[in-house]
Amino acid sequence: MARSKSLLRRILLIIAGALGALAAVTAVWVVHLDRVVIREFQGRHWSVPARVYAEPLDLYAGASVGADDLEEELRRLHYREGDPAAGPGIYHRRGGYFDLHARRVRFVDELREPGRVSIRAGGDSVLELKGADGAELPVFRLDPLLVGSVFPVLGEDRIVLSPADVPTLLRSGVKLVEDRRFDQHHGVDPYGILRALWANLRAGRVVQGGSTLTQQLVKNYFLSDEQTIGRKTTEAVMALRLEAHFTKEDILVAYLNEVYLGQDGERAIHGFGLGSEYYFAKPLAELNIGELALLIGLVKGPSYYDPRKHADRARARRNLVLQELADARLIDSTAAKRAAAEPLGLRPPGGRYVPAYLDLVRRHLKRDYAEADLAAAGLAVYTTFDPRAQAAAERALARHLSRLDAASRVRGAHLEGAVIVAEPNSGDVVAVVGGREVGAEGFNRALDARRPIGSLVKPAVYLAALETDRYNAATLIEDAPIELKLGDGSIWAPQNFTHEIYGAVPMARALAESMNLATVRLGLAVGLPKIADTLQRLGLEARPTLNPSLLLGTVEMTPLEVVQIYTSFANGGFRARPRSVRAVLDEHGRPLKSFEVQVEVAAPPSAIYQLDRMLTLVTTRGTGRGALTRLPPGMVAAGKTGTSSDTRDSWFAGFTGSYLAVVWVGYDDNRVTGLTGAAGALPVWADTIASLKSAPFQPVPPELIEDRWIGFGDGLETRPDCNADAVAVAVPKGTVLPGNPSCSSSPGGALTDKIKTWFKTIVH
Amino acid sequence: MAAVLLGGCTILRAPSSSSSPPSPPSPSLPAPPMQLPSQPAPYQAAPPQQPTAHENHLSPATRSLVTQARAQVAHGDLPAASSTLERAMRIETNNPLLWIELGRLRLAESNAHQAEVCGRKALALASGDHDAQTQAGRLLADALRAQGRNQQAREVETQPFMN
Repeated sequence: MARSKSLLRRILLIIAGALGALAAVTAVWVVHLDRVVIREFQGRHWSVPARVYAEPLDLYAGASVGADDLEEELRRLHYREGDPAAGPGIYHRRGGYFDLHARRVRFVDELREPGRVSIRAGGDSVLELKGADGAELPVFRLDPLLVGSVFPVLGEDRIVLSPADVPTLLRSGVKLVEDRRFDQHHGVDPYGILRALWANLRAGRVVQGGSTLTQQLVKNYFLSDEQTIGRKTTEAVMALRLEAHFTKEDILVAYLNEVYLGQDGERAIHGFGLGSEYYFAKPLAELNIGELALLIGLVKGPSYYDPRKHADRARARRNLVLQELADARLIDSTAAKRAAAEPLGLRPPGGRYVPAYLDLVRRHLKRDYAEADLAAAGLAVYTTFDPRAQAAAERALARHLSRLDAASRVRGAHLEGAVIVAEPNSGDVVAVVGGREVGAEGFNRALDARRPIGSLVKPAVYLAALETDRYNAATLIEDAPIELKLGDGSIWAPQNFTHEIYGAVPMARALAESMNLATVRLGLAVGLPKIADTLQRLGLEARPTLNPSLLLGTVEMTPLEVVQIYTSFANGGFRARPRSVRAVLDEHGRPLKSFEVQVEVAAPPSAIYQLDRMLTLVTTRGTGRGALTRLPPGMVAAGKTGTSSDTRDSWFAGFTGSYLAVVWVGYDDNRVTGLTGAAGALPVWADTIASLKSAPFQPVPPELIEDRWIGFGDGLETRPDCNADAVAVAVPKGTVLPGNPSCSSSPGGALTDKIKTWFKTIVH
Repeated sequence: MAAVLLGGCTILRAPSSSSSPPSPPSPSLPAPPMQLPSQPAPYQAAPPQQPTAHENHLSPATRSLVTQARAQVAHGDLPAASSTLERAMRIETNNPLLWIELGRLRLAESNAHQAEVCGRKALALASGDHDAQTQAGRLLADALRAQGRNQQAREVETQPFMN
């Protein structure tokens, strides 16, 4: 007996010991989970990829934004026509009058609260702006368009909501549909489990889950997707610990940000903030009850109820949620019925995808940010992107490449092209087209196609000549055959594109008509090292090889590098680095970094002015004159055609007062196109510029420079009433010009007349 | 710093500064006020090739942005002021007054090199506008002095447009 008693005691002891050990292990495990919950949840960072915004459109009296342009812009920003008194995001238009309820917007330099604005616009421009109080508003900017996001590593995309951003109906609606006892339970809901069990038993399959919102959050946030008893237990314990440490409000808001609501290719749509933008292209605060009900309904099965793929299922689900909301008296039952009769209201997400531009943004950002931060740290990137310029450049390139392909005898090969549009005075890149397939990621020709620039190099040669003060636009230079013995012993004998020889021609004409022989002679007289210096000052990074063929543009550049060089021409001799990112804000809207306009002196303003005036002759009298028929009357443009050897590359680079654009057209495999710069790239350039509202190029004349009339053919000073071939050129004051004896220039006082006449000649 | 910048920036007259006398110009940033008409005409870009005298003005839009930039400077938010001025420059790309304003801001940020380039750019754009030339010349001289290039600063100050 005694033996068996002690045996029993021993067994009991062992059991007690085992239970104690189990309890200890369990306690350690719970404490561990507790720590994990606290650590992870307290310092929680949603993975939010950097969002990229376009330049906001500034409205002011005189801005060239007509009434129709304004409406188009409002639609692009997903403002809806309606009663603006109802809330932000709505406008009302009557003729040229707009009444707008602007949204709350974060700009680089301020956070603007919602407010009413009235705008009066004419056919071509804004006439008047007034604020809510009826007072004149000198300037008002629209929301910056969301262009896209820098794609996340794990594919998770979201817009994080703060508690204040969550509409009341969303809170109560989600609780009602997903977890009715959320406000009562402590993370796990035994009644819910029993109810789900009962429902599943009756149905004979799983129709209900017993998980609380807290458990769903734990599952998504901390755990993997496997369905095991062990994982279920962990989930329950973590849910209990989460509830012990955090408020219901914290948990609910985290749930609303975490929940998965759909899939857009590689991109997973998380949270109601992004869900609202993804399905309805507007902020959560602007959703009506039907739209909100659809989002709430999606939680149950985003792919099963995908409204874009299974509209009927989605509609039935939405209407069921509406019914439940009405039954719970969260919404009015007649409003629910009305909403149930409405269409789903889906809209394509805002902004078209512009991978070529985002590519430039990503490269600029990579200098300062780690890839992981761009993918996950919730940065807001404010760029110089202009959707209007992008659309114009894409349209022009697509149209002309198709036309040129159709006209080409090369079967089966497709011409490619690239366009970059920039603001000349700042170097701000406003549009990038990397090829004819604009929506596709891939070879970005605008940034990576490095090709010989041909005659695009010539302005640098003429600038170097002007800088010596020994040449001006009227100086005669010799267009005559030349043979050079190169370093390797070979003979170089360049020719004009036309295979003609022009003899003595004024510099202005040699540049306008892109004469090779005259340019080579001029360049050799000035000196190759000087020309290389000039190119580097203009912004070429690597020093070019000092080979005479440099003078005809054997140097290779990408379109972006050409933009850099030509910005210096367009900007009065001041160099500005091409810029796409204006500023980066962190997830709280605090500025992290701004990239301010930086200019450097590249060339003397007086030499640049003389050159720029010669470049306007390219579009009026020279190889670029085809542009003028496509440009609006009165437009003054300066630029240069470029054609590489055997017409493998067709270029045009040029600018007006508002835009600089560089266009390249050619084949990817570098075969002969048969297209000069004027035949291939120029029409693309001209149509891009023509569809943008642009001021004429009007550089401020330096005080030491004056206008003189010369014969375009002979360079002799003349008068327009005497010589039909007269062109106005800019030369240093007091320059002695040989005159045309049969029509000497009228002395003094006639300068303004000359200017007016010159104006007429270019503004025809 | 705000006072220094405001003292040096004289494109706008303070709208109602009668209660507080304007701070005396700092010796390093001398710039007497440029008079603007009380009802400025909208800025008209001068027709090209017109070397005759003309005056640059700020339009109501850029004027309000310059005012806003100064308020941002007064709050110590120089980056915001910079971005506001750049916004104004996108509206009026060739107005030398805006480059002068930006150059003064760069000086306040102790970025004398960029202030110098702004001064040169403003000077080029101010051709034919004596008042703007004078202001641009002062900015340029100040920026050169801030880099210790006193001789060059004096050369700028002896230019004909400086009186």
